[in-house]
Amino acid sequence: MNVFFQSLLSGVLVGGVYALIGIGLTIIFGVMRVINFAHGDLLMLGMYVTWGLFTLFNIDPYLSLLITAPVLFLWGALLQKVFINRVLDALPQNQILLTIGLGLVMSNAVMLGFTSDYRILTTSYSSSSFRLFGLSVSEPLLFSFLVTVAITGALFWFLQTTDTGQAIRATAQDRDAAQLMGINVKRMSVLAFGLGTALAGIAGALLAPTYYIFPQVGGPFTLKAFVVVVLGGMGSVVGATLGGILIGVTESLSAVYVASGLKELVVYVLFLLILLFRPSGLLGKSRT
Amino acid sequence: MKKPMSRILSAVIASALALPGLAGAAPVKIGFINTITGAEAPIGETMTNGLDLALEDLKKQGLDLKVIRQDDTGKPDKAISAIEQLATGDEVTAVVGPYTSACANAVAKQAEQYGVSEVIPAASKEDITRQGYKWVFRVNAPAHVYARSLIDAALAFGKPKTVAFIYESTDFGSSLSKVGKEYAVSKGLKVVAEEAYQKGSPDYRSTLAKVKGQNPDLVFMVSYVADAILLMRQSRELGLKPQAFLGGGAGFDTSQFEGERDISTNVFSVTQWTPDSRPSAAAFAARYQARFGKRPTYHAACTYTSMMVVGAAVAKGGADRAKVREALATGSWQTIMGEVKFQAYDGFNNQNKVAMPVVQYQGGKSVTVYPPAVAKAKAVYPFPGWK
Repeated sequence: MNVFFQSLLSGVLVGGVYALIGIGLTIIFGVMRVINFAHGDLLMLGMYVTWGLFTLFNIDPYLSLLITAPVLFLWGALLQKVFINRVLDALPQNQILLTIGLGLVMSNAVMLGFTSDYRILTTSYSSSSFRLFGLSVSEPLLFSFLVTVAITGALFWFLQTTDTGQAIRATAQDRDAAQLMGINVKRMSVLAFGLGTALAGIAGALLAPTYYIFPQVGGPFTLKAFVVVVLGGMGSVVGATLGGILIGVTESLSAVYVASGLKELVVYVLFLLILLFRPSGLLGKSRT
Repeated sequence: MKKPMSRILSAVIASALALPGLAGAAPVKIGFINTITGAEAPIGETMTNGLDLALEDLKKQGLDLKVIRQDDTGKPDKAISAIEQLATGDEVTAVVGPYTSACANAVAKQAEQYGVSEVIPAASKEDITRQGYKWVFRVNAPAHVYARSLIDAALAFGKPKTVAFIYESTDFGSSLSKVGKEYAVSKGLKVVAEEAYQKGSPDYRSTLAKVKGQNPDLVFMVSYVADAILLMRQSRELGLKPQAFLGGGAGFDTSQFEGERDISTNVFSVTQWTPDSRPSAAAFAARYQARFGKRPTYHAACTYTSMMVVGAAVAKGGADRAKVREALATGSWQTIMGEVKFQAYDGFNNQNKVAMPVVQYQGGKSVTVYPPAVAKAKAVYPFPGWK
């Protein structure tokens, strides 16, 4: 029974980080209908910024969030202004090719600059834990989870109550109508892409103290982010949160009760089953 | 693939070049396939260092070799293109490398086909030298020696009854844990868990929690660099506390792992070579340390040895592939790893016999603890718990 709760706990905590990655992707999709295949590479950039700040200036990875998030926000906004904006009205496959291309350029540029060596951040708490009701709780993972909860909460508040947040949601609901109501949809797009990039960067920073960092680290996370977002319903922030935790828990439990090597398989089978019965995801509204 | 005609042509040119007098000053070309970038690059770097030291020594002996380096990034498909390029394009006389089992095994098949000697420094998948290949030579010990040494050591230190295996599902991981399981069972140990994992996951906690639930006396792990650290970090988090952690070489025998004192202390590993095994080894270690500012791992020593052996064969056979193969197959050499001789035994072919000492990380350093004949310190057993 202890094993069950232990893996449930680590599943929920890891799922929190998956959710954060998914939320970034879902905001970008929601506002612009652009599927961002460079999402994992943006996460990788977040990891490298964190690693750089830690090794050069000895800034704690969690503290460096205050730098990583704005830097990534500006980078995302720049990408949007220079590249993505030009293809907003293009065919979806062109948009996909553009984002894949951007991702490749980013990961290969990092490889050129930093080689493809694995970097490992060692902090005093990289393997710390404390015990709670007989379960061991990983300190860095718990902290990442709390940061995720705080950021998701703040984001929700921002989207629901502030004027800008409402404008972003209006753009997501209907771009043309929002423009007719006097919303600057181009600015909203820049904001949304910046926000999504910042969230990916934060997720990267949160993973950095416990995981390892290399230029191609993004690929698997892009894929995971898609599963999370599609599962929760494209464009739904709450759905992505739910999807992230669901994936985390499924991975964790299937490693225990099926086999460690098969956890991905279980995740994708579950994913297919949910899509069979709810084609628009758990919380997605089907568009007609 | 080249056309037969051009292959014959290149063979003619190659043999013309090998003629004494004509060859003259042209140095013999040797290929070196290594993981220069990618996940295993930290190990690849030590191998490059070992090779460079060997080239210096060979030069001092008056042997000038031209080494053509190829990066396989740890991927078998890249390793295959590398050997094709080296064998048919650069027309090297022999090849040293590659590092990982998956790459070395893929290259072995090509080396056999092209008729180029491949000298493998540090890949341990059993099958590589069990396929009856004529052109494939291995300096390091194959996987079963890793497993036997570690399990023998654990049985000598205490009375473990159960063992759990956690391994990366690669050629190296599965080969080592397969022979490990067989040997453990033959020694009366009970295998209580067997977990193959896919690398690239940020979270092995559930796998480790499952292993912890079985309460094994020994935890036997097989991983490369990054995962070795990740697995031990998460074991510490979860408070996994067997009588001993046995690390199967590779990622457990790197300076990166040694540097992580929080998680490496009291972990056992097994190694192809230690600096304290003989005077020439100590001299090599001192020279390496002075040059690169790091402790040489067995990967460096094995690559150094491989290159020295290839050099000796070239000194005898020149640029001729067949003569160099002959020299490798029949010769024996005194090296920093002891006597190297490629032999046929127990189904192996062209396999050097190496005894693998067991080391333990004590106070941030790896210390030889088994077998007693070469031990430098007393082993800490059972595992005293996490700090």
